[in-house]
Amino acid sequence: MEQLLVPAICKIDQIIDETPDIRTYRLKFREPEMFETFKWLPGQFVEFSLLGRGECTFCISSSGTRPGYFDCSIKKAGVVTADIHSMLDEGMDVGIRGPYGNWFPVDEIKGKNLLFVGGGIGLAPLRSMIQYCIDNRNDYKDFTILYGARTSKDICYKEEIEEWKNNPSLKVILTIDKPEETWKSNVGVVPKILEEVVKPSIENTKVITCGPPIMIKYTLLSLDKLGFAPKDVITTLEMKMQCGLGKCGRCNIGSTYVCKDGPVFTYEQLKALPDEF
Amino acid sequence: MNFSVFETDKNGLQKFYEETIAKNETYAPVEKFGKYDFKKVSKLSDCDPDSPISLTMSVKPLFFPRSSKVMKYEENREGTTITETDEDPLAGKRVILGVKHCDARGLQVLDMVYKWDYIDTDYQKRRENTVIVSTRCDKADVNCFCTSLDYDVENSDAHDIRIINGLNGKIYIQAVTEKGDEFLKGVSSSQFAVSSSELAGDESAKHYKAFESSFRLKMNYKEINERLQKSFESPDFDLGAKNCISCNTCAFICPTCHCFKISDEKIKDTGVRYKSYDSCNNGYFTLMAGGHNPRPVKYRRWRQRAMHKFVYYKERFGMNLCVGCGHCAISCPVNISIFDVVTQVAN
Repeated sequence: MEQLLVPAICKIDQIIDETPDIRTYRLKFREPEMFETFKWLPGQFVEFSLLGRGECTFCISSSGTRPGYFDCSIKKAGVVTADIHSMLDEGMDVGIRGPYGNWFPVDEIKGKNLLFVGGGIGLAPLRSMIQYCIDNRNDYKDFTILYGARTSKDICYKEEIEEWKNNPSLKVILTIDKPEETWKSNVGVVPKILEEVVKPSIENTKVITCGPPIMIKYTLLSLDKLGFAPKDVITTLEMKMQCGLGKCGRCNIGSTYVCKDGPVFTYEQLKALPDEF
Repeated sequence: MNFSVFETDKNGLQKFYEETIAKNETYAPVEKFGKYDFKKVSKLSDCDPDSPISLTMSVKPLFFPRSSKVMKYEENREGTTITETDEDPLAGKRVILGVKHCDARGLQVLDMVYKWDYIDTDYQKRRENTVIVSTRCDKADVNCFCTSLDYDVENSDAHDIRIINGLNGKIYIQAVTEKGDEFLKGVSSSQFAVSSSELAGDESAKHYKAFESSFRLKMNYKEINERLQKSFESPDFDLGAKNCISCNTCAFICPTCHCFKISDEKIKDTGVRYKSYDSCNNGYFTLMAGGHNPRPVKYRRWRQRAMHKFVYYKERFGMNLCVGCGHCAISCPVNISIFDVVTQVAN
């Protein structure tokens, strides 16, 4: 076990300021041959060590179809994440264990229309999936991304979203919670825009959603109203984790280990779990 | 099952213990301040393989240490270097004497979580290298309820060798697994009469009957398990929660609790990463960055503890995560018994 808990050293290649409290850390292994064994699919996560301060769980926010590096987008939220923001610079070392957990069902949803619904930092796991789908564009049909943030400043991956907007094969809808003078796009919370503006058809469509718990709660209700079956709604779950190996017991919900059986679940699977949220 | 069986008496058993200690790296219950903990011993007078169940700590730390070093690291101009710790994680061949039946079962239960998916090789190695010699209690403690659970205490195969105190005054040393058999074959058997497994089995059954009748606590496990499955919303989990002071003693002394935390300790440029016991009764156990906590109150944490032990683990791995040793109730500073909690919730 102890060997499994020892991380590999990664160098921070680049730090990208996304919003006032979110930064993307682009990581490369110090021993590049590590990438030969470090293969991941969208939705998987790593244990990220700021040595001496602690270890945190982050999803990988870039796709394995873009090799040679991987991204972790980190929001300043707790003790270690605050230290990560204040202590780490480009070129410094961090420890990485992983990739762990399951992934979005990239093969099962081939040939489907995809609707991505994201909020805030919840776009991070979706971004990995979106990049994966863009790089395998012919495997999937219509492609809609609905993304909401509190204010225009809190929008993550601004440059990349511009690229997506300019991509004729993607439909991108942005929204912010409250009106702003310079904001020309939608205003309103994600579930409202989903029902009033996007109005998705349930025909041959899979929904992939991630965001803050309150957004997920109302988005699931809206999707239900729009007629989506719980098995067609896929989300990733946030739960305290430490080992990522299905041993340390933190992420237990009922007999499920979120770190091994998840973090990706369908709404149907979530409904069967004990109500601990 | 035709494994070796010896018939002997009290003196013979002493000799068997002495020979074991002399020839092997041996661990046995050693008394300190009135409590027994499993320690390495060099002579029989240092230890008591017949230590009472209520005063004997679990053998779990010999397989899953209370705290272990995962790695060391050092930062310098070239970057970070990770080095192995000086701790030897793997035990050599060893024998443990005086393990109680419930405690040995605890290891069998732990095996399940350590061998699914990612394999804990250190734990596995320690298990493989250890011969467990267990002694069945003659009498139950007031907090014991091992006979009420989902395993066969009489014919348990959680240990390698069992010692049966026959009611006929004889003592039987019986191998229960191949590993135990191999070990017994190495013992200078000339001093012991070889017996049959039938005779030992008969005596074991008689002994078990007397043992079973000494239990104060009894439950219908199947019924409790079924009812608990439907009791997620029960307010009775508060029985555990209302007095609990979240000291985590129950988890630390439990033979089956296996939750751990990973923590870093860094002084200047060098640091150590530890893996240490943790418990679901801790308020911060599931506290996430940003302040969200699915189990913010004691009632919910107690529900997790009781349900994990009696429902979830059984559902996942087919074994109950409580072996009925009663240690949590004995050690609890506010006298909470998991037996009381689950029976109250289920009824």
